[in-house]
Amino acid sequence: MDRRDFLKAVGLTAGVSGAGALLAACNANEQSGGAGTVTVSSGGTLYVLYDVTSQRLDPAKSSSLAITTSGLIHRRLTAWTTSADAPATVVPDLATDTGRASADGKTWTYTLKPGLKMSDGTPITSAEIKYGIERSFDAAFSGGLGYHKTLLDGGSSYTGPFKGGDLASIETPDPQTIVFHLARPYGDWPWIVSMPAFAPVPKGKGTDANYDSSPIASGPYQVASLTKGVEIRLTRNPNWDAKTDLARTGLPDEIVYQLGQDSGVIAQRLLASSGNDAFGFGASFVNPAQLAQIRTSPAAKNQLVTSKSGALAYLALNVRRGPLANLKVRQAFQYAIDKTAFQIATAGNADLAGPVASTLITQGITGREEFDLYPAPPNGDVAKAKQLLAEAGFPNGIENLDFPVSTANNRADLAQALQAALQRAGIQTKLRPLDDDAWTAIATGNDDNAYDLTLSSWQPDFPSANSNIQPLFGTSEIGNGGYNLSRYSVPEVDALITQAQGTVDPAAAGKLWAQADRRILQDAPVVPLIYTRNSFLHGSKVGDFVIGEFPAYPNYLQLGLAK
Amino acid sequence: MSDLLSPGGAPVPPAAPAASRGLWRALRRDRWAQASALVIVLVIIAALAAPLLALAEGQDPYTYHTELLDPANGTGAGTLGGISGRHWFGVEPLTGRDLFAIVVYGARTSFLIGLAATVVAIVAGVLLGASAGYTGGWWDTVVSRVTDVLLGFPQLIFMIAVGAVAPAAIPRPLLLIAVIGLFGWPRIARVVRAQTLSLRGRDFVRAARALGAGGVHVFRRELLPNLWAPIIVLTTVTIPANIGLEAALSFLGVGIPPPTPSWGRSISDAINWVQTDPMFLIFPGAALFLATLAFNMLGDGLRDALDPKTAVRR
Repeated sequence: MDRRDFLKAVGLTAGVSGAGALLAACNANEQSGGAGTVTVSSGGTLYVLYDVTSQRLDPAKSSSLAITTSGLIHRRLTAWTTSADAPATVVPDLATDTGRASADGKTWTYTLKPGLKMSDGTPITSAEIKYGIERSFDAAFSGGLGYHKTLLDGGSSYTGPFKGGDLASIETPDPQTIVFHLARPYGDWPWIVSMPAFAPVPKGKGTDANYDSSPIASGPYQVASLTKGVEIRLTRNPNWDAKTDLARTGLPDEIVYQLGQDSGVIAQRLLASSGNDAFGFGASFVNPAQLAQIRTSPAAKNQLVTSKSGALAYLALNVRRGPLANLKVRQAFQYAIDKTAFQIATAGNADLAGPVASTLITQGITGREEFDLYPAPPNGDVAKAKQLLAEAGFPNGIENLDFPVSTANNRADLAQALQAALQRAGIQTKLRPLDDDAWTAIATGNDDNAYDLTLSSWQPDFPSANSNIQPLFGTSEIGNGGYNLSRYSVPEVDALITQAQGTVDPAAAGKLWAQADRRILQDAPVVPLIYTRNSFLHGSKVGDFVIGEFPAYPNYLQLGLAK
Repeated sequence: MSDLLSPGGAPVPPAAPAASRGLWRALRRDRWAQASALVIVLVIIAALAAPLLALAEGQDPYTYHTELLDPANGTGAGTLGGISGRHWFGVEPLTGRDLFAIVVYGARTSFLIGLAATVVAIVAGVLLGASAGYTGGWWDTVVSRVTDVLLGFPQLIFMIAVGAVAPAAIPRPLLLIAVIGLFGWPRIARVVRAQTLSLRGRDFVRAARALGAGGVHVFRRELLPNLWAPIIVLTTVTIPANIGLEAALSFLGVGIPPPTPSWGRSISDAINWVQTDPMFLIFPGAALFLATLAFNMLGDGLRDALDPKTAVRR
């Protein structure tokens, strides 16, 4: 599997220091009230202000969540619906249901809704879906979410439709039916088919890189014009039928992305909400300094929406390195860390930053069990940490631990809070701030000895504990771009992961995941820090701007504008 | 001119001592240059005595004091970012680290990098420029072309790239000094080479050569005394440029790694806070401003004193 997937997924979806939040009292709940005051109707132009300079619109290359940009253009077999007080749920999209599994969980069958057409008039049949998935295997179109690439039988060695011919494990017995044969049982398959690669692509199209700027649409919008790094203009897709779509309301007539904007400027423009800015929202996080400013203005609070929870920020300890190979040392880290200082460094105060984390499975995920194997005050228990270090044979502390950290999203500042906290227990670390790409190359590379510890953050790609645990702790995720940053490999845990992935019943699978969560933390390969809240700003005339329990992002598909 | 011809004697050109006497006289009249020199001395003392100053305040630049922050938004609690008898410049937002200690320790970083990189640039620039100008021929061509290439090189981008790929084993300060020095010498080499070219044809140099003086002797005894004036001026204007460059690199996140304080990084962090906690920007910003302004004014004063063509009576 091309593991850049996860890199991109994290770049896009991982929680960051810039993320902050309002007090619990004035977050999502007040927001739903606030959204009610804006009565939305069909029509108008929605502006999306973004600090990044590019957006992946090719479904094979996209790693965006099902409820953000690519969801506006591409429908998939299933889609997500969100509500303020619940995690996202999976609903049928192009298919008539979320999938029918065989008894062993290895074969999944979907029937397509009849009469659907793409923006160029091509009818959406099983052949278009199959071709779209096959395309995602070609190395030229890699970079998108790639969970399916190893799950589909024969997928690991398949090279795409242009070089590898036909992928036998996707069957299309008739134009309305598509059957997937998996390499192993996999209960979360309905979520997998909501990913961008499961969007239809007309056969023979998308053979070159230009498809990324002018994809054929199946969703409510199509790309009308695209100026690289500056603007993307989406207009209505005349062939989209709202009656067949459970996930998208498609209210605005046009959606305009303004790219490469400074995040500080975005915040000022949205707060002023003059002219078109009233119909805009910021797709990037509001940083702590802006939050501090917004909190002094009561009017601005109505425009700020904060998630209740979010990505797990964690300190990964490389279990294959020197003193960190010792369990007692890693346990000492659990007590030495000051989670309060980390919260403040994240967003200015504990409530804004997000709750203190003690488990790997994030809040709002089915099966999550709350527990704390290393109970300590939020600012740490230095005496206990020193005692554990002494027991491990380091009575004078540990020196010179290499601590590379990405400079993206203020992570270098957050790492300083951790560094200062570890110092209290006699653990001296050397910070090494790196460009995000350089950090990724080191942290996800094949060299086990490239670092001692690092700071990362993980937002699941779909609301299943599977997506919390497997990408971070599976043996297969060590190196080669995988995000097992602790280089943690325990056969018992791998067995639990495989067993839980193969369990089709969500409740039973949830129990197994909770068991894995506890089992992994017994080995203390990471220090869970906080569940990072994300804050977003929107203009005064944008309505239905809601962040559910999962994911910690607004649902672009249901936004509407006031007249 | 008689002593110029005396064999074995040091034919010091008469211009040099007169210039240094004139320099002091001119500087004594230039109040701005005097004030600048005073600021520079103060900042250097602050840099050298940073631990003592921080100790006098009872703080250090590394300890977190999250209890000193306003629980509502993470800025320093109290007036002007938490200025108090215990925290003279207040505290840093989100961390509560002492801002005074950060600023005086930051002076160390700035001066260490700024001065050391200047020394590297001046030594390399004078040696290469003088040798190229004096010997001429293929060596002159090589040095001149390398100078042209380096002057036309996108320096900042190169420095950022080197900062990103250099292995962690190389200490960051050394790397910064080397990289800033590498791009600093061509400017100096150019001026020194031009000056040397004009000196080479002068009678006292010809005489020394005619009497059998070697290259090193001519450089030390004939050329260098006449090059001091431009070298001193170039040094005083290169130092603030290098301090500014270090701040720029730290601002961009490829300078000295945290938590070692650096003005550039503090300024970079403070920009977002300018509306809620302006003092966080003002203190490190003022320190950088004062240091670079003082060096530039002193450099201007020296140039006015040393170069009659630009002399302006104040």
